[in-house]
Amino acid sequence: MTAAERFQERLLDDARISPRYAPWLDRGPSLAALSETPLPEPRSYTWEYSNPNPWYEQNARGTDSRPNAGKVVASGDTRVADFDAADSRERGIIEANLNATIDRRRYPLAAVNDVLLCGGVVIEVPERARGAQIELRDLGGSFERALLIVGAGAEATLVESPAAPTHRVVECLVGTGASLRHLRLQGAADSFEYQLVSTRVEAGASYRFGQYAQGSGMRRNDVHIESAGDGADIGIHGAWHLSGQQHLDTQINVHHRISGGTSRQTVRGVVNDRAKAVFNGRIHIAPHAQRTDAALSAKHMLLARTAQAYAKPELEIYANDVRCAHGATMGEIDGDALFYLRSRGIGEPAARNLLIAGFLEEAMADHGREEARALLSPGSLQPGKLPRPLTRKEVSAFRLPADAYFHEKLS
Amino acid sequence: MLEITDLRARAVGKPILKGIDLAVRPGEVHAIMGPNGSGKSTLANALAGRADVEVTSGDMRLEGASLIGLEPEARAHLGLFLAFQYPVEIPGVSNMEFLKAAVDSRDAALEREAMSAASFVKSAREAAERLQLTPEFLRRGVNAGFSGGEKKRNEILQMLLLEPKLAVLDETDSGLDIDALRTVAKGINAFASETNAVLLITHYQRLLDHIEPDFVHVLLDGRIVETGDKSLARKLEADGYARLA
Ligand SMILES: Nc1ncnc2c1ncn2[C@@H]1O[C@H](COP(=O)(O)OP(=O)(O)O)[C@@H](O)[C@H]1O
Ligand SMILES: [Mg+2]
Repeated sequence: MTAAERFQERLLDDARISPRYAPWLDRGPSLAALSETPLPEPRSYTWEYSNPNPWYEQNARGTDSRPNAGKVVASGDTRVADFDAADSRERGIIEANLNATIDRRRYPLAAVNDVLLCGGVVIEVPERARGAQIELRDLGGSFERALLIVGAGAEATLVESPAAPTHRVVECLVGTGASLRHLRLQGAADSFEYQLVSTRVEAGASYRFGQYAQGSGMRRNDVHIESAGDGADIGIHGAWHLSGQQHLDTQINVHHRISGGTSRQTVRGVVNDRAKAVFNGRIHIAPHAQRTDAALSAKHMLLARTAQAYAKPELEIYANDVRCAHGATMGEIDGDALFYLRSRGIGEPAARNLLIAGFLEEAMADHGREEARALLSPGSLQPGKLPRPLTRKEVSAFRLPADAYFHEKLS
Repeated sequence: MLEITDLRARAVGKPILKGIDLAVRPGEVHAIMGPNGSGKSTLANALAGRADVEVTSGDMRLEGASLIGLEPEARAHLGLFLAFQYPVEIPGVSNMEFLKAAVDSRDAALEREAMSAASFVKSAREAAERLQLTPEFLRRGVNAGFSGGEKKRNEILQMLLLEPKLAVLDETDSGLDIDALRTVAKGINAFASETNAVLLITHYQRLLDHIEPDFVHVLLDGRIVETGDKSLARKLEADGYARLA
């Protein structure tokens, strides 16, 4: 019996006991999915370069519940409710929307999250609200969930820096004509983590996602974004800087279901020492998604012979009238650029750091730029050092990246 | 200022510089001319300390200090500046950030007091203006998407800010239209003083109409085959290099 099978068997056994956290929430569909979907094994599909076994071992030791955690800070008339304390209207909203965007067979660890849930929040931004700001803090334990519903025409910013070892599933529903900027910062850690961001973007809506990370013992970041309405606009920026023995596996799946959507993915990774970065960027364009305009640019820079990076763009295009550009490169510090800087008197370590920062800069969205820079600057690369929580001023300082930025960077 | 004696160097294993002797005194402007492939850039790179140029014998001294074996940054701190024939593009690093890092490194190495951010920005703006580069260029990535002429002007901008003792300008005139050539020449003339020196590497004598060299050297196949005053440049323009071969 494998570690995954043992974990799964125990999970299904334990699930017969009524859960203590939000017992009203129906875990049935997640349990049903788990009873027929195997959990990821080392080297199984999409887990070729990441070993999930330590994750099972870590979580077999039990979950950590922090019921009095700080949870959520939100501005204005944004409504926030804990799953455990939800009233009947809120329960209705949760039941109608939770997992609406998540295919549990594809993301079985998200179903595990449902079963072991320690803390969850539903956040509602009313229609046409302006400038809503939401910061997710500690959501209550090792398995956390957030469901964010951005009403039609509303404008919101979501920031989070999940503390390790937290397994967090964040689901965002961006309503018609709404816009959501989402910034996620992950500091270094030694633990094993699984995170899923799953977002649905409706017609005319815009979603800007920036994910900046250091690595951990095994950190898997799944990102699933659906373009679900005409003219939905998706921009993804990702950057990572890994050192020591850190591991980071980022799997982004952009699914264009409806015509006329645009998506841009720009990721940059720097890998040093014995660290390992895995990136998979998938663009799926369904048969009806004509006039989709999608692009993906993924570049990695390796700083040591022992550093590893595996990056793969994957295109699944079933429509014929689309534009889809993609590129993935792997390189080192440019020797000519290094000599140029050094010839100006800049010492080698400082010159290398400038080039590293410059390389990552290409993947910085306008929102969260300063925070991301601070997180990924070579000086901050120590395990266990987490990014500090953002101040309110920083949260309100985010700006939307201009379209020109994307086009310039991808050309 | 600069003393090069019997310098021999290889690039990628191939002997390129085959015994160069050159002495430059403070206040002088020297021009080095020669056909493509004669080793002009290799000489510039040997001075600046590029790793793929291997000095096999001879010496290069800047104000008495040998450059042999020094890291490129150490040569810069001694007062050497090379304006690249092909300046490198570094998209994610802003020009301003780069210039500040260069000036700060120099000041730290020379144990000078660091320039305040405000006075640095002021002098960077002034230098840009002198070269007819808008302040926008300071915000953009280093040479990123710059035209050929803009890149060359950006090299001179760096020279003005770093105030080297010896400026080696490798074909700074190539790719410039006549107005840009004038602007660049003005910048170089403003820089040149009794306490520093300029080594102008050029292919054509065009630049020498604007900057008057004290000496002109002809480099051919890794050797200086002729030295003269500025009239030598005119002669070369008229007769070509073939006569010297
Ligand atoms: N990095 C290098 N790799 C290969 N060949 C080189 C390199 N640098 C110089 N060379 C060779 O050295 C010779 C002189 O080149 P260079 O110094 O660039 O000439 P110039 O600047 O006078 O045109 C040429 O034959 C060139 O091909
Ligand atoms: Mg040359």
